[in-house]
Amino acid sequence: MSVLVALAVLWEVLVRFKIAEVQFLPAPSEIAAAAQDEILSGEILGRLVHTVGVTALGWGIASVIGMGLGLLLGLSPLAYRYSMTSFEVTRAIPPITFVPAALLIFGFSLKMELVLVIYGGVWPVLINTIGGVRSIPPELRDVGRMLRLSRLETIRKVVLPAALPSVLVGLRLALSLCLVLAIVAEMVGNPAGLGNGLISARQALQPALMFVYVIVAGLLGVALNSTLRTAAKLLLPSNALKELAS
Amino acid sequence: MSTRSLPGLLPLIALLGLWQLLGSPDSPFFPAPSSWWPALFTRGQGAKIVPAVLDTIRTFGLGLFIATILGVTLGILIGVSRQVGRAVGPTFEFARALPPAAIVPVATLLLGFDEPMKVVVVVLAALWPILLNTSSGVQELPPTLLDTARSLRLSRTRTVFRVLLPSVMPAIVLGIRVATPIALVITLLVEYLTAVNGVGALVGEAQRTFQPARVYALIVIAGLISLIVNSLVRSVEDGVSRRRVGDRL
Amino acid sequence: MDNQPRYECRKLRAEVGSRRGEPRRIVLDDVSFAVAPGEFVSIMGRSGVGKTTLLRILAGLHEASAGSAVRFNGEDVSGPPEGVSLVFQDYTSSLLPWRTVAKNVELPLEGRLPIEERRARVAEALEMVGLADRADAQPFELSGGMQQRVQIARALASRPVALLMDEPFGALDALTKADLEDQLLEIFAATGTTVVFVTHDIEEAVYLSDRVLVLDGTPAKIVAEIPVSSPRPRTQMLTRESTEFLEARHRVHEVIFGT
Repeated sequence: MSVLVALAVLWEVLVRFKIAEVQFLPAPSEIAAAAQDEILSGEILGRLVHTVGVTALGWGIASVIGMGLGLLLGLSPLAYRYSMTSFEVTRAIPPITFVPAALLIFGFSLKMELVLVIYGGVWPVLINTIGGVRSIPPELRDVGRMLRLSRLETIRKVVLPAALPSVLVGLRLALSLCLVLAIVAEMVGNPAGLGNGLISARQALQPALMFVYVIVAGLLGVALNSTLRTAAKLLLPSNALKELAS
Repeated sequence: MSTRSLPGLLPLIALLGLWQLLGSPDSPFFPAPSSWWPALFTRGQGAKIVPAVLDTIRTFGLGLFIATILGVTLGILIGVSRQVGRAVGPTFEFARALPPAAIVPVATLLLGFDEPMKVVVVVLAALWPILLNTSSGVQELPPTLLDTARSLRLSRTRTVFRVLLPSVMPAIVLGIRVATPIALVITLLVEYLTAVNGVGALVGEAQRTFQPARVYALIVIAGLISLIVNSLVRSVEDGVSRRRVGDRL
Repeated sequence: MDNQPRYECRKLRAEVGSRRGEPRRIVLDDVSFAVAPGEFVSIMGRSGVGKTTLLRILAGLHEASAGSAVRFNGEDVSGPPEGVSLVFQDYTSSLLPWRTVAKNVELPLEGRLPIEERRARVAEALEMVGLADRADAQPFELSGGMQQRVQIARALASRPVALLMDEPFGALDALTKADLEDQLLEIFAATGTTVVFVTHDIEEAVYLSDRVLVLDGTPAKIVAEIPVSSPRPRTQMLTRESTEFLEARHRVHEVIFGT
């Protein structure tokens, strides 16, 4: 933390005393002032609520789709064999390139933002669910058979808990990706939220305000990440947490 | 791709076939796949494709390269010294969670619309997986290894280059593999947002001039670049891990 | 009980294919033996000879090739038979890490018995392996020996008539191993269950068993059948010094090493 403060002070001194002059680089004090105005006017809160809302909603939907499909592909060798390559190939296409297609199809709308967020979020959940289900140690499957558990019991009591750490990793990756895609969509498509705030500040040549939005976006990223990490800790026994580190 | 994974292509082929049958070449949303390829060359735009691909690959490659050098150096520093790690921890936590898209407007404002700006943004996004994997790789090294180096009275540089780096290599390569798709996505994103150059800029242009077939064709090109780049990195990773297994045998 | 053997294998033949596309390899051929109710039989052999495959066939986890006969209580084995429990060598991956010790032991009883009965059975099984006070621990909090005891308790919870064990003590240190061997003998005496025990430790096989079967060759068959006449109850010190034990050990050694 002290390093952050030291950096901010150094930055302030450099800019204030024009030791290093970079065009459009605001001093931390200017950023703070801009932040104060923006918070008081309620502008930030509104944009924050929009971005968080779309990210969370899209992530939720993406998680349901990703886990459902992932479970199917992970459990059924037939489904896996006759579709996995299609998913691999489609996944390789960077989701960013679908932004223009989504804009053409859905226009500048909330729908476009939501579709992009869901599309991007599905992949990590899907891949990690499949991986989690398929990498269950064969011994564990034998245990299920030996104890004469039914197929449903095996899935509920053995497969799902064993795949959980991997699924949680997927959910966490998906959440950061959903946030990125929401902000991208807001920057180029849906005129709302933090992404739009950034672009508006950029176009109005208000660098201080722009930095405010960059910082808010970063803090939001940190907050979302740590929320999920806490949730994971509550869900998992401590030995499984190692896999979630980093 | 092995023959065993070929049946898995069926759904994609079926989807494209269905699209071809149902879509018309003039659809503003879903132009038939057969119209994609020709759309690359209409209105004399064919000459733009190859330079754009090269621009994208250059930014991506340069960005990933610098991110690797920077990430490995910083990662080793942080991994070796607990104090450094603790001091920069919160800063890194923030920088890592910052959505890379948010950096773009700032970068264009401070650095302008040019190639170095593109590379800087890519480096800032691709750095983290490499840095984190390297530092945790260093931290997880068996203490015996460094004790061995000390008892053999190796110099500091020798310890780093002969003992430390080779042992952390698999972690570094894993970091690079994770960073590769990120670097490519961010390259395309910067290009799309700033229209400086590259495939991303072409997609944006095609979208703004309402050429849906061209947008889809460029998506396919981006996908191909991504497939090739990722499989290259994966084969490097396989090579590294195979050599290590070989060492142990 | 009647004279029907607990397990009976005749002309058993087994193949394993390491990967799809590769030719399947015959590991066992013409293996015939029977295990009487209440008998303790060990299966010995060099590593890779097919001991585990044989045990997996008895457990119903691996299918024997056509023409083989594998019967449990007179019925053909297809899938894990009721009344048979298997203890795996690798305790870390066969216990469910997200369940407590008691919950792991309870797993095979869930949905089959009322809750009070389940609790009683779990308590009884944990008592038998000496882990009654660790019921609420997580598996990873326990030592390797204790984790293996949990697995044995889980196998016992369903009150099996046959207990199959695949090198259960192979990964444990010598002292823990001796402890667990004695505990197993106590359980064997108390429950009267039939035990088929796979191991590559000659001393262990002779110490525990009524009979030692030796597998050898490629494909493997039973090359020797050595009865151990040491009286029960057995104890680590006295039994291992007895003439019967030494004689049986000598014979097994001879069969395996050829001298």
